[in-house]
Amino acid sequence: MIEIKNLHKYFGKLQVLKGIDMKVEEGQVVCMIGSSGSGKSTLLRCINYLERKNKGEIWIDGKLVKEKEKNINEIRQQVGMVFQRFNLFPHRTALENVMEGPITVKKEEVSHAKEKALALLDKVGLSDKAHQYPAMLSGGQQQRVAIARTLAMEPKVVLFDEPTSALDPELVGEVLSVMKDLAKEGMTMVIVTHEMRFAKDVADQVIFLNEGVIAEEGTPKEIFENPKHERLKAFLGQIQF
Amino acid sequence: MLNEIINSIIIFAHTVIEYAPKFFPGVVMTLQLSFLSILLGTVFGLIATMLKMTKIKAIVKAIDLYISIVRGTPLLLQLIFIFQALPQIGIRFSPFVSAIIGLAFHNGAYISEIFRGAIDSIDYGQKEAARSLGMTKWQAMKRVTLPQAFKRSVPALGNQFIIAIKDSSLASVITITETLMLTRQYTSATFNPWPMFFIAGFYYMVITTVLSKGLLRLEKRLKVYER
Repeated sequence: MIEIKNLHKYFGKLQVLKGIDMKVEEGQVVCMIGSSGSGKSTLLRCINYLERKNKGEIWIDGKLVKEKEKNINEIRQQVGMVFQRFNLFPHRTALENVMEGPITVKKEEVSHAKEKALALLDKVGLSDKAHQYPAMLSGGQQQRVAIARTLAMEPKVVLFDEPTSALDPELVGEVLSVMKDLAKEGMTMVIVTHEMRFAKDVADQVIFLNEGVIAEEGTPKEIFENPKHERLKAFLGQIQF
Repeated sequence: MLNEIINSIIIFAHTVIEYAPKFFPGVVMTLQLSFLSILLGTVFGLIATMLKMTKIKAIVKAIDLYISIVRGTPLLLQLIFIFQALPQIGIRFSPFVSAIIGLAFHNGAYISEIFRGAIDSIDYGQKEAARSLGMTKWQAMKRVTLPQAFKRSVPALGNQFIIAIKDSSLASVITITETLMLTRQYTSATFNPWPMFFIAGFYYMVITTVLSKGLLRLEKRLKVYER
């Protein structure tokens, strides 16, 4: 589904990613963990070109992504993104947020887009909030609307950039449970997260990034129960879950 | 003594009532100047903002030059320049057109800065969210950034519109018969400045008050999606 070959990324002189190779198969849930500054968010953002890579190749669905504006816009329709800070459009209701992509980008008919958006809001448990503006919703609700907004584009992959890090602890669960349901349905997902329990339960593969390289990767069992890399051991030691 | 004061108040009130309707043509002209200079100024401002966003160096430089000239010289100088200096090189406009061009160009520069500030103030995540749905730059601008930026620019725009109304009085120096011009004419005709300036001030207050009330209502209506 996604294949990344020898990806390099610099911010000015600072090299953030130092040659990343990774593969995400269809239907897989991949969790990326690592301390802050390890490059995991940058890697995620490179996949849908919110950050431009400096070197390397990204293959999506068997095709090499060319760095042309038109190409990138098409890729983004297939690769959804959920942000840490939700980034809902504050001037639109929950329903309108979910309809926005299909109507503006895919030129779908309003009635069709609306039907689909209502179904998606129902799926994330928010059909009663359809006509509320984001400011009226809790963080967890906003993030669930954001997930519905991404799903409305019918993407092949969804990228999650620390989707629960901006939430109050008691709201984390509702977002994770929506994500678990998605994983069960077979959605391909790449998740940057600090929720180790979630990674353990849901991930097919866990990637540990350290200083811009993949230091260790494997099944949750391998990573959490038998870590080999010193930094991974130290990292897991600092986190309680 | 008391009699005298009462008497002069009566005369004052009488003059005000007599002359107030005679100001109508001037007030109408003030309204025309204000309306057109605000409308065209907003259009110029929008165009300048859009051109600046193309990020093409020559265009951005040209717009910056326009803004710095307008902001760096007095409006009075700009108006007199259009009216008196441009004809010297063969560019001739009627006084009314000169006034509109001068006022609109002037407002346009300030309004483009207001728009730019409002657009810059929109959270970067908004653009990223729009783009990550597959929107083009233009779609993201039109559907996500501009509606929010417009709302944020309303208070500053309102301020500029009120300034524009008052600035229209400067058109009197290039022979436009608007409110201030009439005030001075009636003052010389009657040797009685007090009631004339009172009337003029009153009309300006009415116009600006109505506008600010309207803008306040607009602001409230645009706030529906806030907590």
